[in-house]
Amino acid sequence: MAEEVDIIDQVVGQEYKYGFTTNIEMDTAPMGLTEDTIRFISAKKNEPEWMLEYRLKAYKYWLTLPDPNWQNFHYPPINYQDIIFYAAPKEKIKLDSLDQVDPELLKTFEKLGISLTEQKRLTGVAVDAVFDSVSIATTFKDQLKEKGVIFCSMSEAIHEHPELVKKYLSSVVPHTDNFFAALNSAVFSDGSFVYIPKGVRCPMELSTYFRINAENTGQFERTLIIADEGAYVSYLEGCTAPMRDENQLHAAVVELVALDNAEIKYSTVQNWYPGDKEGKGGIYNFVTKRGICLGDHAKISWTQVETGSAITWKYPSCILKGDYSVGEFFSVAVTNNMQQADTGTKMIHIGKHTKSRIVSKGISAGKSHNTYRGLVKVNKKAEKARNYTQCDSMLIGDRSGAHTFPYIEINNKSAMVEHEASTSKIGEDQIFYCNQRGIGTEEAIGLIVNGFCREVLNQLPMEFAVEAQKLLAVSLEGSVG
Amino acid sequence: MNLQEKINQDFSQYKTQANSSDAFVQLREQAFTEFEKLGFPSTKHEEWKYTNLKPIAEQSFQATCEINPAVHAFVKQSIFSTIQANRLVFVNGSFVQELSTMLETNTEIIIGSLATERHKHKTIFEAHFGKYAQVEGQALNALNTALLSDGAFVVVPDGKTVSHPIVILNITDSSAINVLAQPRNLVVIGKSASVTIIEAYEAMGTNAAFTNGVTEVYAAENAHVEHYKIQQQAGESYQNNFTQIFQEANTNINHVTLTLDGTMVRNNLHFYMNGENCNSLLYGLYITDSKDFVDNHTRVDHAKPNCFSDEKYKGILKDQSTAVFNGKIMVHLDAQKTNAYQRNQNILLSDDATVNTKPQLEIFADDVKCTHGATIGQLDEEPMFYLRSRGIPEDVARKLLLNAFADDIAEKINIPELVTLLEQQIEHKL
Repeated sequence: MAEEVDIIDQVVGQEYKYGFTTNIEMDTAPMGLTEDTIRFISAKKNEPEWMLEYRLKAYKYWLTLPDPNWQNFHYPPINYQDIIFYAAPKEKIKLDSLDQVDPELLKTFEKLGISLTEQKRLTGVAVDAVFDSVSIATTFKDQLKEKGVIFCSMSEAIHEHPELVKKYLSSVVPHTDNFFAALNSAVFSDGSFVYIPKGVRCPMELSTYFRINAENTGQFERTLIIADEGAYVSYLEGCTAPMRDENQLHAAVVELVALDNAEIKYSTVQNWYPGDKEGKGGIYNFVTKRGICLGDHAKISWTQVETGSAITWKYPSCILKGDYSVGEFFSVAVTNNMQQADTGTKMIHIGKHTKSRIVSKGISAGKSHNTYRGLVKVNKKAEKARNYTQCDSMLIGDRSGAHTFPYIEINNKSAMVEHEASTSKIGEDQIFYCNQRGIGTEEAIGLIVNGFCREVLNQLPMEFAVEAQKLLAVSLEGSVG
Repeated sequence: MNLQEKINQDFSQYKTQANSSDAFVQLREQAFTEFEKLGFPSTKHEEWKYTNLKPIAEQSFQATCEINPAVHAFVKQSIFSTIQANRLVFVNGSFVQELSTMLETNTEIIIGSLATERHKHKTIFEAHFGKYAQVEGQALNALNTALLSDGAFVVVPDGKTVSHPIVILNITDSSAINVLAQPRNLVVIGKSASVTIIEAYEAMGTNAAFTNGVTEVYAAENAHVEHYKIQQQAGESYQNNFTQIFQEANTNINHVTLTLDGTMVRNNLHFYMNGENCNSLLYGLYITDSKDFVDNHTRVDHAKPNCFSDEKYKGILKDQSTAVFNGKIMVHLDAQKTNAYQRNQNILLSDDATVNTKPQLEIFADDVKCTHGATIGQLDEEPMFYLRSRGIPEDVARKLLLNAFADDIAEKINIPELVTLLEQQIEHKL
């Protein structure tokens, strides 16, 4: 046992790789949240009147809400008057090409391994980079345009495609949905907008990279993805933040809409700054993500690898409205040191013959707590609905916690619903087996954890899968004895 | 007058007669303050999310001591009279001596009514009463503690075995009015002692009845307890039940809950393992029809290492009935080498039936093996086809399969009379 503790002490947590800050001139809103802040944001973005009205409506509703308190973790109450709700790199002129982007910014993204220069075609991923609250650059725009795919920042979409935005924005996550969705609706600054026209298979992976940089800011982005009939899109999301002592709030909203026969695959690799070993600092990742299969035979698939954030609190969900629609949720959530996660999904079966599958893997190490919370609801009319849920937890170290709170509500007799969960620790015999064959303990753990998560990692697009595997190994480094 | 007002009135009446220097009376006063603070839980309360107490809280119920002579005949024909047992009969929460029978000859073993025996065995009573069933935050426990009527008091000294099962038969008789019964049982099992307890709930009469019962079981080292709870209250019967089982080291508890009838039944079954090497087995079967509602909330606290718990609840739902299952396994810090299993399986026989299930795990130790699972579905088509292809008619085949489904729980029952009862009920209901 003493030896185990030694090993833990020796190697606990590698330093967070992305903890640097970028010195760049920022344009910020005054601290705090009032009606004026919202008018300020709206004016900055040159928004049409209907957008401002929507924001104000959300803000008024948000004021009536108490802070939520049902979650399975603790955080000190957030003072919303201490947050800067809008921060953007100072815009000199309208950017026409990447050459005009502040080189400091480009350097930042290069450091993060995100190529904004389109020459690097090898990666074959179109990127929308969001720095603090604002979209910096979107690559491969022209190529996508040829196919009719719209991939741009939210503020651009509000100006250029108001009919789509008006129709779908807030249709999946209304501003009345929850505390943070209301807040986001009021103050969201930017985000990505994707529209795939009828019958188009998006030729490349779309990706957004989020970076929080400025101090005292909150990041509130809004993503809307619409796949028209028969369309297909695979979308990736990645994120990092600098190391700071105070907690920063990230309250995003993501809405997915899939029409008849459409398929959306949404993958997240979340690596916000998790705070230090004592739990100081780190990002509060309170995100509302929801997709709706509006049409028949539509499919929405969520894949997430959650390794960062001081607190992760999100439930990417699927509303299966169309008949024969399919919802999937694959998740790996890793918590180490003082991190906390309360995550899972909701599968709402409304249409007939709808299917859903949930695979959730939670790994908690150090003094962290990892919670799976999920809802499977089969409505009365949802005949022959099928759900399979599997949630496994792995505990590393005797001060960590794993919790499972599944909710299953069934109102139709033809439903087939299965839920399975297990909790285990990494077996000493497994490690011994590896050691015996010359594989070091650290490596062995990486191996075992990767095996434990394989079902989920397999769902990620190739480039991300490699990154995610590395990330898992890094987050857990030194956590095991 | 609704229930809340009635309760306030009852308690102020009780207070005028009670001697407030008595520790027992003080306990009840504290409990009442707690109940006043909490009130009846609403569906906004996470633990009561699916269970609406409004139909109870808005009706009027009355506690009564009057015994209707028809009860005698009712008890005689009850299946629980056929079991060779020590029998304690409570009507609307009051002990009825002349209907009870005692077979136990060992005078060291106490089997009697709480109201009378607690005076005779004051030290044991005060050492255990109210120590296990929590009152803080539990409104209905607080209500029971404040206004309990009577109940069974069982004490088995160290090393003793009760030769026959103890049947605690609770009958609500609502022939004249809506009745409120608040039975309170206290069972204290000494070291290496063993006992079988059958808690049964039946109902007669056409008005509504509300039973709010609390049972506390304390098992000292090496004790063995078989605990059965049979609920078959016909008519408009509401029941809330809280059972807290507190286990010391090396104890074995086998618990089975059978819910066969009742308009609204809510069971709270809590196990607390306070020593190493405990075994806790909890099984349940509910068969619901019409608009019945059954809610089983269980909680197993693994507070010490090396304990084992196995939980399995099964349900068959007909008509517009609703079932709720909420199982929580709590593995405390340092409760290493815990083995905990939990399963909830439901068969829906009707499109209007509803199941809400929440199998939960909360784990604070790393060297544990815990699994839980829940399934909801219809009868499997394949075995059905197998039977039908061999010339067995559909309804017979269905009955056969449902019996097999229920058999899983039936085989955990070690009392033949109860198995017969269960078989009859399945036959009758399905």
